[in-house]
Amino acid sequence: MSTAPHHSSLVVNGERRDVLAPASTTLLEVLRGPLELTGTKRGCNHGVCGACTVLIDGKLARACLTLAADVGEHPVVTIEGIADERGLSRVQRALVEAGAVQCGFCTPGFVMALTSLLDSRPQPSADDIREALSGNLCRCSGYIKIVEAAIRLAEGEGA
Amino acid sequence: MNYVAPDSLEDAYRALADADAVCLAGGQSLIAAMNLGLAAPGSVVSLRKIGALRGVDVQPDGGLRIGAMTTHAELAAMTTTAAGPELVARAARLIAYPAVRSRGTIGGSVALADPAADYPVALQAADASIEIGGPCGSRTVKARAFFRGLFETDLQRGEIVLAIHVPPGAPGAGAAYEKLSLVAGDFAIVAVAAIGKDLLDLAVGGCGPTPIVATGIRSSSEALAAAGRTLAASCDPPSDHRGSAAYRRRILPEMLRRAGQAAAQRASA
Repeated sequence: MSTAPHHSSLVVNGERRDVLAPASTTLLEVLRGPLELTGTKRGCNHGVCGACTVLIDGKLARACLTLAADVGEHPVVTIEGIADERGLSRVQRALVEAGAVQCGFCTPGFVMALTSLLDSRPQPSADDIREALSGNLCRCSGYIKIVEAAIRLAEGEGA
Repeated sequence: MNYVAPDSLEDAYRALADADAVCLAGGQSLIAAMNLGLAAPGSVVSLRKIGALRGVDVQPDGGLRIGAMTTHAELAAMTTTAAGPELVARAARLIAYPAVRSRGTIGGSVALADPAADYPVALQAADASIEIGGPCGSRTVKARAFFRGLFETDLQRGEIVLAIHVPPGAPGAGAAYEKLSLVAGDFAIVAVAAIGKDLLDLAVGGCGPTPIVATGIRSSSEALAAAGRTLAASCDPPSDHRGSAAYRRRILPEMLRRAGQAAAQRASA
């Protein structure tokens, strides 16, 4: 049985990136290692904390629970691919303006979750927001400001 | 570790002949187990390219054939009027978090048979069946016989869960799925699935190695309370960080009453 490194040809933030890594390597390890995209954070490494949240094929995914080899042709978007031409995206600006960034470790995951929510539902209710953020932990426990930022976005501010 | 992603079931069966090979569906449990050092397969057979495992087909009787690689998010978004499929959709909406629901699959969950998982509870209440394929052909097993123990199922080495068959439920039946967990998205402390009208079929999860089933229970508070007391006395719940066995026994009857009465209220006259 072959244990040679597996070749993955990933599309990350719109760029084709070729990676040679053991087949057991997760997408998170590939992003933070060879691809040097360290905005995606390694928290619990078993799917609970949400710090490694990325988009695969436009859908939220845990980079730690996905083998790089299993991504295939599906495009990956990380926090580095979220900023718009003005610098920070409107979700990022709203979090900064609401004072929703404390130590900042969980912030990339929250940005991905909120970006995905607002793309699919531009005017979510407060309950929708809490449900959408249920898979992201903030160990500074700064949830109130994060939800406030999201409510402002839902009300059309920060566009 | 070796990784293969075959295009066909036949190639997948061949790859699974390796004694150290496991199936990879959505990976939301397997990769977590690998990261935690709880699993170290020699070979992973990804099912993601196999078209035969995808798709949800409505059957002539209003039931569903759900391809094994259907994600929790796809089932959660399903709108249906039949009680059986509705029960599965209600359970899917309460599994983990959006980022896990978008990749985790019903086939993967069923094959793993975690004692606190949601589908085994819903599928046993709905009297669903599991379609299994292998190199020697396919077979179908009732969910109530498929889940045999803690992470133990009727699946034999080299077999793959192909699809889940969910019957529509009795005409006019309602469905409910009640789950108590420490925080949204966590595994259940106790979960109850209920389907029916005047007579309910119920399944309880989180209170033993496999869900426990009670069929033909009347929907009155008294009947549900009596069934809850019987199940609480006979079940074998674990004590863990989510709750003690005594706590699970204590809350089971009330969870059963809520699920049973919610299902009965959703039933049409």
